[in-house]
Amino acid sequence: MRLKRFLFIFSLMIPTLGLVGILSFYPTLKGIILSFQNYTVFTFNRIEFIGFDNYIEVFEDPVFPEIVKNTIFWILFSVLFQFLLGFSLALLMWKPFRGRGIYSGLVFYPWALSGFAIGLVWSWLLNGQFGVVNDLLMKLHIIRNNINFLSDPKKALFSVILVNVWYGIPFFAIMILAALQSIPRSLLESADIDGANSIAKLFKIVIPYIKPTIVNTILLRIIWVMNFPDIIYGMTRGGPADSTNILSVYMINIAYYESNFSKSSAVGVIILSILFIYTTFYLKITSKGEFEI
Amino acid sequence: MKLRFLVLSLLIFLFSFLIAEEITLNMIQVFTSPLRTKVLEKIISDFEKMHPGVKINLISPPYETAYQKIYLMVSTNQPLDIVEVGDWSLSSLASMGKLENLEPYIAKWEDKKYLLPGVLDSARIYKGTAYLIPNAVYVKALFYRKDILEKYGYKEPPKTVEEMYEMAKNITDPSKNQYGFDFRGKGFPTAFIDLIMTSYFDDIDPSNMYLTKDGKLIFEDPRAKKGLEMYVKLYRDTAPRDSINWGFDEQVNAFASGITPLLYQDPDTLGLLKDTLPKEKFGIAPLPVGPSGKAYPTFGFAGWGITSYSKHKDLAWEFIKYFNSPEVNAYWCKEYGALPVDKRVYDMDPYFNSEFFYGWKYMFNHPEIYQFTAYPLANEKWGEWNNLHEKTMQKVLLGKMSIDEVLKKWADFWKKAGLK
Repeated sequence: MRLKRFLFIFSLMIPTLGLVGILSFYPTLKGIILSFQNYTVFTFNRIEFIGFDNYIEVFEDPVFPEIVKNTIFWILFSVLFQFLLGFSLALLMWKPFRGRGIYSGLVFYPWALSGFAIGLVWSWLLNGQFGVVNDLLMKLHIIRNNINFLSDPKKALFSVILVNVWYGIPFFAIMILAALQSIPRSLLESADIDGANSIAKLFKIVIPYIKPTIVNTILLRIIWVMNFPDIIYGMTRGGPADSTNILSVYMINIAYYESNFSKSSAVGVIILSILFIYTTFYLKITSKGEFEI
Repeated sequence: MKLRFLVLSLLIFLFSFLIAEEITLNMIQVFTSPLRTKVLEKIISDFEKMHPGVKINLISPPYETAYQKIYLMVSTNQPLDIVEVGDWSLSSLASMGKLENLEPYIAKWEDKKYLLPGVLDSARIYKGTAYLIPNAVYVKALFYRKDILEKYGYKEPPKTVEEMYEMAKNITDPSKNQYGFDFRGKGFPTAFIDLIMTSYFDDIDPSNMYLTKDGKLIFEDPRAKKGLEMYVKLYRDTAPRDSINWGFDEQVNAFASGITPLLYQDPDTLGLLKDTLPKEKFGIAPLPVGPSGKAYPTFGFAGWGITSYSKHKDLAWEFIKYFNSPEVNAYWCKEYGALPVDKRVYDMDPYFNSEFFYGWKYMFNHPEIYQFTAYPLANEKWGEWNNLHEKTMQKVLLGKMSIDEVLKKWADFWKKAGLK
């Protein structure tokens, strides 16, 4: 009887397990196996296991430390500003006003575009020679010489982060706005009666109330931003001289330029491991708090 | 009711049968540009009209990632029948075993006797077997803006690299947004670097750009340093800072807008310029030679190949044959801008005798000055080299690495890759 019940439950799980298995677990497993092999375009006929060689090659690459540093900057500043600006935007749109639907549709528009296309478009907008942005700044007499947004290594990382922030604000805004709308009106009204000002309301009621959403969204965004090479690939492809190279772009460049899918998988596994450790850690810390995730 | 249902399902069955009858060939191009896609689509639609029931689905990835997309597609046997194979991808695609041997088709092909001499040989660089039929050849030449050079008092294009540098330097004035040399910073800058660097040599091995005739790596030769110094000077003194991040599109854009009037490019650029620039405003000259009195251009080619797993190989061959027929070949090369492979085209169409082709003809007719030299494309490290070459060159241009360091790095790379 018990066995029958177990089989019944199991059979209901099969479709989901099957889909997730085929689309997620199998490719991951295959990627991990690949990272220990010598799978390149030229070695299709003689693929063998080569131990940790790919990993050693990656760690010994002289640009690897710079890439890790860039990745940290990329995630930190992208998510920080996406969050701050997204939060502000959500607060602005919290109170109903005429045309809010259309307005929010327009605000969320960047989120609907493909990252790679955004990268290509922005690479022309920010072009140091004939870019629209330079042209406008020049005509407004804000600058005297063209700014080399993407070719000056000191500015390139800043420029790609700027575009990523522009792209990511709507996501935070959508999530936080939804959470804001779930705050009971009575809570805010009683705060008004108690004489709380806006800042007190924000920090004592709004933020604590939507904290789970904030925590979850940031967790998700960090994972996504780390795995998001589209914009950088479209704009600079990691250049000039690796100044915008992050781990995921590095991985694509190895697969695409060198056609070395094994070494590329090794970078993928490194990214996966970092995210795994990060997520475990993050979940542990946040689940200890007074709220449920 | 029942009858109606029966008729309806019969109709659906018939309709789906009709759809299934249509054969779709999937075709992918490498050197994508809006113009090229338009020309290709015209040729495809003509072919489709001649072959009812055949549909050709053209896939056009951006050039910068096209080779990689193709590698990925064929390595996983994704539906693809006709593949554009360039000189740079021939060896890897063929060694993957994903290209059909075209020799049996060529043996029966009547038009093969009209191919330019050497075209089939260059298609046979991988193990002596042809895996593609080239439909055009590409050689870099010097594009120059007549109007802008004249404004600064230059009537003739530069003949040597030094002359070009001086000219470009004199023209350059950032306050007027005027620069000289149209620099290529990203997206396979290899040939641009090498054309300047090797022009300081007089003894490059014709079968390998990176070896001298006595078998030494060029990177360890003091002349390489001189050449590379010139290349860096061209960037620092005569090109916009931004050009370190320029690919093909930006280069052509900067040339057409006149910001940089001196450009090294392939004949396909001519196709793009035809529509954007009046033809009296620019000219095409032979490549400037270096202090050695020589230059080492490379003979690029592209054509169509058939995947080894295609289900419609004969039909794919029909298309390739059609593409290489003289009328289509002439249309293709003229519209898109390339040097035709069919000898008859040169007599048929006066366009290919016009002054625009003078630069290329001069180079073809002076082998003692212009030695057409091959790259080590069959070397497994070639792809990795392009990545390393681009990134390390950018470091040198930005002053983050010295010329000596980079030459040593390049020499070490090729030693490890078994070139010497």
